[in-house]
Amino acid sequence: MAESYDVIVIGAGHNGLVNAAYLARAGRKVLVLESRPVVGGAAVTEEIVPGFRFSVYSYVVSLLRPEIIRELRLAEHGLEILPLDGTFTPLDGNYLWRTDDHSRTRREIARFSPADAESYEEFGRAMVRICRFVRPLLDAAPPDPASLAPADLERLLWLARRFQALERDDKRLLLQLLTASAADFLDGWFETDVLKATMAASGIIGTFLGIRSPGTAYVLLHHYMGEIDGTFRAWGFSRDGTGGVTRAIAGAACEAGARIRTEARVVRILARGGRAAGVALESGEEIRAPVVSSSLDPRQTFLRLLEPGDLPPQFLDEVRRYKFRGSSGKLNLALDGLPEFTCLPATAGGPAAARPERCRGPAEPGAGRHLRGAISISPGVDYMERAYDDAKYGRFSRRPYIDVVIPTLTDPQLAPPGKHVMSCFVQYAPYALRDGDWDSRRDEFADTVIDTLAEYAPNIRSIIAGRQVITPLDIERAVGMSEGNIFQGELSPEQLFFLRPVAGWARYRTPVRGLYLCGSAAHPGGGIMGAPGRLAAREILKRGPL
Amino acid sequence: MTTKNPRIVIIGAGINSLVAALVLARKGLVPVVFERGAAVGGVAVTEEFHPGFRASMVAPMAGPIAPAVLAALEAAGQRVDWLESPARLFLPETGNPALALWTDPGACAAAIEKIFPADAGRYRDLRAALAATRGFFRDLLVTTPPAVDDLRSAELLRAARLGFRLRRLGKRTMVRVLRWLPMPVADLAEEWFAAEPLRAAVAARGIFAATMGPRSPGTSARLLLQVAPWGEPFAPPVVPRGGMGALAAAVAGAARVAGAQIRTGAEVEKIVVKDGRVAGVALAGGEEIRCPVVVSGADPARTLVGLIDPGQLPPSVAHQVRHYRTAGSVARVHLALDALPRFRGATAPSSTAGAAAELAGRIQIGCSIEALEGAFDAAKYGAVSAEPFLEATIPTVLDPSLAPAGKHVLSVWMQFAPYRLREGNWSARAGSLLPLILATLEAYAPGISGLVLGSRVLTPADLEQTYALTGGHIFHGELAMDQMFALRPVFGMARYRGPLAGLYLCGAGTHPGIGVTGASGWNAAREILEDLRAG
Repeated sequence: MAESYDVIVIGAGHNGLVNAAYLARAGRKVLVLESRPVVGGAAVTEEIVPGFRFSVYSYVVSLLRPEIIRELRLAEHGLEILPLDGTFTPLDGNYLWRTDDHSRTRREIARFSPADAESYEEFGRAMVRICRFVRPLLDAAPPDPASLAPADLERLLWLARRFQALERDDKRLLLQLLTASAADFLDGWFETDVLKATMAASGIIGTFLGIRSPGTAYVLLHHYMGEIDGTFRAWGFSRDGTGGVTRAIAGAACEAGARIRTEARVVRILARGGRAAGVALESGEEIRAPVVSSSLDPRQTFLRLLEPGDLPPQFLDEVRRYKFRGSSGKLNLALDGLPEFTCLPATAGGPAAARPERCRGPAEPGAGRHLRGAISISPGVDYMERAYDDAKYGRFSRRPYIDVVIPTLTDPQLAPPGKHVMSCFVQYAPYALRDGDWDSRRDEFADTVIDTLAEYAPNIRSIIAGRQVITPLDIERAVGMSEGNIFQGELSPEQLFFLRPVAGWARYRTPVRGLYLCGSAAHPGGGIMGAPGRLAAREILKRGPL
Repeated sequence: MTTKNPRIVIIGAGINSLVAALVLARKGLVPVVFERGAAVGGVAVTEEFHPGFRASMVAPMAGPIAPAVLAALEAAGQRVDWLESPARLFLPETGNPALALWTDPGACAAAIEKIFPADAGRYRDLRAALAATRGFFRDLLVTTPPAVDDLRSAELLRAARLGFRLRRLGKRTMVRVLRWLPMPVADLAEEWFAAEPLRAAVAARGIFAATMGPRSPGTSARLLLQVAPWGEPFAPPVVPRGGMGALAAAVAGAARVAGAQIRTGAEVEKIVVKDGRVAGVALAGGEEIRCPVVVSGADPARTLVGLIDPGQLPPSVAHQVRHYRTAGSVARVHLALDALPRFRGATAPSSTAGAAAELAGRIQIGCSIEALEGAFDAAKYGAVSAEPFLEATIPTVLDPSLAPAGKHVLSVWMQFAPYRLREGNWSARAGSLLPLILATLEAYAPGISGLVLGSRVLTPADLEQTYALTGGHIFHGELAMDQMFALRPVFGMARYRGPLAGLYLCGAGTHPGIGVTGASGWNAAREILEDLRAG
């Protein structure tokens, strides 16, 4: 007899797993189907080069909602977040280094501009206040302004009242964050080019926009929303890589009774008379369930897994219009040693006089500490914007923005003793290349990244023991995220809140009754946040006992 | 004499100021308008730039002028002789055939059908979609934005009313509008049209006079503000006989008839502030006029930084105004031509008798999204576009009175010419604009250089100097999402009230801020009257 479940969750990425865990905890019989041999989706740790374990795609953790960590008791399931301390931006003969040590960061920024050092602290406080306002919006399904239902109107009114309760300056900042470009927003605070460029980088991650494009300030805010142990804007590594996060969630889901099947590729969502009835696997097997919760993006869910006849034509039009436009790639490097940045060598720790004249920062507390955080290749606002210009015309950036982390400095077990893994997130790498294709240009892309890194750390070429190049096409093929967009669709204003992914369908439901979306393409969007999975579970549970 | 102690002083005699003066005068308030130039009109002026050749020096045409304003002109016996253009837009032949977008929707669809068959239906659909939003956007232009800085019950109600007006369009149209507004205009254009020239025709309105390209989010909102009040994708060229100066003369005439006083050649040098409220204005030459209400038609930066002592403003306002973006991106060039130029792909041959009808509207050089975006790239780094986006008009096609018989005027907006150049300055670079524009035009209208009898170039620096436009920005400040509607010019100042008691803003630096509509002046006057009624 065929198996039967209350809910089938498609995809075992972090959102699918969070969704399954909450449903199982509420007593639903849940089956999670994952096409790959491992769970985790884009949050996986894999041994790519023998002995070296990489967070292959997603590589840092911050946005994961604290209530999910708490409610699913993820710590008991092995989740451990290690701090990622600061951001180091190398320059030609100088550097900008911000750490969690406030007074030190202040001194560092003051080397560029005392005024900026002042503003920096105030900026941090303001962002915390704004995040405090926005966070409840991430923890609830968005209200629909087109609806005249009392619940929606009430929610809008509630929003307006909360907004009114903000300080005047915070209202201004919030509205600016919703409308301005990251660069313009930061112009209101700072004068140091490299500081603005590095901070603005958060505004373009995963988007096909430049730091001067209006709307990127919101993405900046999105990345500030992270909270670890009550500290806003804290980023960290998961022990044993990002796969550690999804393993913990999977553990919680299984403990609650969910079943997870890997290497079970769903090829069709069965819909009968406008209702979900189950799924069909590649093997031909059909599994029945009255509720199907898809953590895949809308293109995969609606255009690949359903028949066109299952959905209203207007809805299909909207889905086709939904923008992915993957813009990032990755380079994962296995290293024999550590990169030596000319402006501040890894062994730095000696007297300031031993360093080049232009980069006499404060004395080092420990060698190589600047390599333990993020290393950001973002030397200036123009540099970042030019990187985007290339992408606009279908080229990968000739001099890209790179966000580098070396997790082995915090979590040495990821590599053999004395060796390191280095993750380089690269933007821009547009999915649609004008000349050639990603398969034929993959090495050229990787070389561009290495050449760029070598400008700051010339020894990089000599310490590479192995490399894994990930293009947006690879992301699409391996993890199933359309066009390699890491957020399952751009975080642009017309694809946010009540418009994500499609107006009128922002609350995890779909035109097929019993079919829900629980991935990053649903409100509030991407990153290892888990909020869509949790909120979708809440909507599914509103249906009452099955 | 009332000039001594008027109740209301208006700074500048641009269209918005004149509309405000007209509305206030009709209520018996006798406003006094001070204009530093010799003529009224601000950016709506007709001047002779070469012996016998006149042109609308800055704004070549008006935007949608509120029906109420037009009715007020008529009531005052001021006639504006609007010219009816048979064409909206012409895109000369490039890699694609030339495209004429006609005023008559049927003819327009037929013209599209002929070269881009797939898009003719889309044109009709887009037109219908925009027509559905027409009433909303017409209203929006003459709506005072809600005070987002202070959403008390009354303001919340205003915001809700706006939401309700939008909802009344029906769910589908409402969602469409909300989705469209923040989009890059390129995405909007690409959703509707497959042919590049059509996409570019849509996108051009979205980026005109902005330091943004078609791929910049929020450019759709700029497009909608300009075209949706017409209910169609391509805005009509609204221009009076005699050029834009004729419109200014009509509004000024109506204001005078209603009782307003207008003093030209009188430059306000300072807004006098006492005890945190305005007390009057000081004119160049020393004359001081005491007055409890000062309405500035000058741009916000000029008003709040140039005319008021910085110490008089609250520090947070000073900070906001400092960061208000005013850098312009366009240069203006007028050419006196010996004959009508022949654009590639234009159908009718030029003759002295019948000029080509398709050249009666706007002529656009920049016929693909990529061409427009590419032109923008240079501006980001403070350089002039090597291949600029040009928007030309030949006003003499419909109005031969502007030039000697058989001769023509061709006026060009050239974009991008950023106000802030990284290398050199505009006084040194001014000479390079004309050759660049002629070389660009020559590719689309071969032989045009040989027709040039005279020219006038206005760099962004000239626009700033001559027409008192800070940063040379013809919209009185960048019109982007963060400086639009309830955030225009800055947060907390969107309701036409300045940061000091008695101070009002009525220029394009306030909502809607899209070209010559008079809407800002109309809205400001309404708010002033409301405050006066409330005492």
